[in-house]
Amino acid sequence: MSYLNKAAMRSKTGFWPNNRGTILGVAAFAVIIAIIPFTASSSMMNIAVFSMIFALPAIGLSLLMGLAGQVSLGQAAFFAIGAYTHAILLQKFEMPGPVAAVGGVAAAMLAALLIGLPMLRLRGHYLALATLGLGFIVMIAVREWEFTGRTTGIYGYGRPEVFGIPIDNNGLFFWFVAPFVLIGLVLALNLTRSRAGRALSAVNDSELAAESLGVNTYALRVKVFTLSAGFAGLGGVFYAYQVQIVSPQVAEFHVSVELLLMVVLGGLGSVWGAVAGAFIVELLSEGLRDLIPAIIPGATGEVQLIGYGLVLILVIILLPGGLYQVVKSAWAAITRRRADASAKPSSAASVDGGSGEVPTRAFGGLPGEAPAGAGLDEATDAAASDARIPTVSTPVAAGQPILEVSGLTKRYGGVVAVDDVTLTVPAGQIMGLIGPNGAGKTTCFNMITGAIAPTSGTVRFLGEEIQGRKPHVGAEAGLTRTFQNLQVFSSTDVVGNVYMGRYRKGRAGILRGMFGLQGREQYAHEEIAHDILDSMRLGDVAGLAAGDLPFGRQRMMEVCRALAAEPALLLLDEPMAGLSGSERELLAQLLRALRDAGLTIVLVEHDVAQVMALADTVAVLDDGVLIAHGDPESVRNDPAVIVAYLGTDAEEAEAELKELEDQS
Amino acid sequence: MIDFLQLTVAGLSQGSVYALLAVGLIATYTVRHVVNIAQGDYATLAGLGSISLVTAGLPLPVAILIALISVTLASVLIERLVIARVKNLTTLVSIILTLGVSTLLQAIMLLIWGAEAKRLPAFPGSDLTLGGVSIRSQELWMLGALVVVGGGVLLFYEKTRWGKALRASAEQPVAARIVGISPAAASVIAFAIAGFVGATAGVVSSPIYLSIWSGGLLLGLKGFVAAVLGGLVSFRAAIVGALLLGIIESYVAGYVASGWKDAVAFFILIIVLIIRPAGLVLRPNAVRV
Repeated sequence: MSYLNKAAMRSKTGFWPNNRGTILGVAAFAVIIAIIPFTASSSMMNIAVFSMIFALPAIGLSLLMGLAGQVSLGQAAFFAIGAYTHAILLQKFEMPGPVAAVGGVAAAMLAALLIGLPMLRLRGHYLALATLGLGFIVMIAVREWEFTGRTTGIYGYGRPEVFGIPIDNNGLFFWFVAPFVLIGLVLALNLTRSRAGRALSAVNDSELAAESLGVNTYALRVKVFTLSAGFAGLGGVFYAYQVQIVSPQVAEFHVSVELLLMVVLGGLGSVWGAVAGAFIVELLSEGLRDLIPAIIPGATGEVQLIGYGLVLILVIILLPGGLYQVVKSAWAAITRRRADASAKPSSAASVDGGSGEVPTRAFGGLPGEAPAGAGLDEATDAAASDARIPTVSTPVAAGQPILEVSGLTKRYGGVVAVDDVTLTVPAGQIMGLIGPNGAGKTTCFNMITGAIAPTSGTVRFLGEEIQGRKPHVGAEAGLTRTFQNLQVFSSTDVVGNVYMGRYRKGRAGILRGMFGLQGREQYAHEEIAHDILDSMRLGDVAGLAAGDLPFGRQRMMEVCRALAAEPALLLLDEPMAGLSGSERELLAQLLRALRDAGLTIVLVEHDVAQVMALADTVAVLDDGVLIAHGDPESVRNDPAVIVAYLGTDAEEAEAELKELEDQS
Repeated sequence: MIDFLQLTVAGLSQGSVYALLAVGLIATYTVRHVVNIAQGDYATLAGLGSISLVTAGLPLPVAILIALISVTLASVLIERLVIARVKNLTTLVSIILTLGVSTLLQAIMLLIWGAEAKRLPAFPGSDLTLGGVSIRSQELWMLGALVVVGGGVLLFYEKTRWGKALRASAEQPVAARIVGISPAAASVIAFAIAGFVGATAGVVSSPIYLSIWSGGLLLGLKGFVAAVLGGLVSFRAAIVGALLLGIIESYVAGYVASGWKDAVAFFILIIVLIIRPAGLVLRPNAVRV
């Protein structure tokens, strides 16, 4: 089968299919924008201009909430910093408009960086609270400071000019701000689908798994937060131009609430939703300001807040996904109906195509080995053709130490979970780590991979000390792992999970992602992810939501994900648990083939017989202490091991020993 | 010196309001892991409600009692109608959700009571002067309310079986159910306590600090800053922190400029979050898995 055919089958790769939605959406939006000033009444035009201005901070906030999984309750603070800086640079320093605008955006980003650097180290609600505090500080500061004009604010600067045309009415201003919103929208959409964006949504599913694949969560979150403030600052720049006087009102808390409402209403993490939310909230606000005094005579002030509060509560309770969710499920219903209508005549053919395709992509590439549990005739010819074993990197020669653990200890209060474990793993071998329940195997794994910090002791990977560092440090150097309790990225599909394994092989950062300059790199990684899935017979489910797979296949998917990283050292935590007999056999074959290709593997396993059959060396932990280490044969006959597994009953011990021998 | 002491007294009385609100916030946070942004609005609601009742001719104690009971019920109602409806209520979602509740409550208060600040008549008692420092009787009522109501909640949570079971229901819902307290009941009780404590803060402070529709947010946030000083779990640290916050604010207002007073709490918040996010009493906990 040709490569092109396969790529077409997989269909998701290619510029047009990948970007069709964005291109059509942006084109439609651009047409609407072009028309609005000709058709809208002057009051509607006013609403439209403010919607466009507020769409910018809303897009920023939606990136922060969707990608960094964090909420800013002080988005208005960054908006205000942008507006004030812009106005001050124009009015007091008489800088040209573009320079002042850049200054406004930069000031907002700098403020975010200063808050984000300490706050984003903490998880949970701390950033929300700190930004809330920042919001009040900014409001009070601009109100009290002579330089910012106290309660009057900054005024008396000129309107913007473009090619000598003064932007002095709402229609022109709308067109003035529109290109920035469109560009911002495209950049934000690109970012959500970029390497960094996908990494961050993986972090929201499982921070530990993402970091174990090399994602530096902290750095990415700081960048997204800073970027989000940049959007807010740009909104502030336009706001300053439009209203011609920047006063402390712009920093008020209810502006932050308004922005939050736009994003929540539009749908968390949906960039389009944020833009739609901006228009709806502005309309709602104007509408309520007219409506409520009509119903309740004498009502004045911020009466629109009643709508904000109600909508915020109702959306979170009834519609947690916001408008984005509504549109998405409506669209799915439409396409399903259309598909149902057209599918009948051609369904037989497509089923044929499917069944012909699946086995050909099963487990190819292992020399001289027929796929286990095949029963599918086509499988044999696959070995020859297109599926490959995942590439293996071997930075040290076989037999040389790749991982050196020395004196590794973990205490929880008075309990010693792991006690002074010293162990060297030579490259190019499979090492089995066994021991009874609670022996400290997973704790050892967690310390080696950086998921938890050891109380004492060192972990050297490729000669570099990595103990106590975050998981992405080891991962970047080529150490990947799977998890006993599966850590699936449930917000993406199976191939998306394996694609995340490619993270450390990618290069594109946030900027490249935003400008969409990483398509080729991404397609290549997706292609490799598909190949790896094929080799593990998961090709047929590549497009399914990862959470929908049965348990055993999720486990296989995690192994694929770890392999996609092309690790030098692979740590598998109970990879066989929950697998069917044929899946176990398939996995064992793959592990052997990988070992032969030079990969070093450490696996924790409950199934002693499996480990004995597979491993070159076996280490045994009991009560946190390393009680034996050597080749399977000597470990099997070690009296300490027998006692550890079976207590002191010699008769039973012998029976078990016999059973073990029979099995091997 | 007299100035200094006078400012300290004013700070303590203002701090006692923050302390009561902090106690309310911790009461719900320990049980439900909800950061209730609407906590301060309970105070304004009770203040404005009792003012209307007094204006309608009811005696002050009766008006206050009705206001306290109504706000407690309102808090329970909010828990049932809003908080309990969200299935996967993370702390972040709870912040957005209760922000919605707070905004709604404020808008309702604006529509009912209008935009001007209102004052409840002072409680009975006579002002006294100690070594040149004058102490208003209302300030003693405020501190007294903290001792009785705040102290009562603290003892309930820390010393009684019921209180301990309530706290346990956040950490161990299954275990709590085994000892006979359902998470739903625990949540209702916690919100009732939060409502009552917030309402108490509102009525005792109204004669001096007035009640205005939008005042609750800032009050609640300052209570929140105090609660963060206690790591959102320690009542004692939060109460001490709240009193300190009140005093520092009072000094800033007296010696620097009254306009900057409201910014103090947030500078403290950010500094504490940077230095000791787990609060001033707890050992920082670095568990990441």
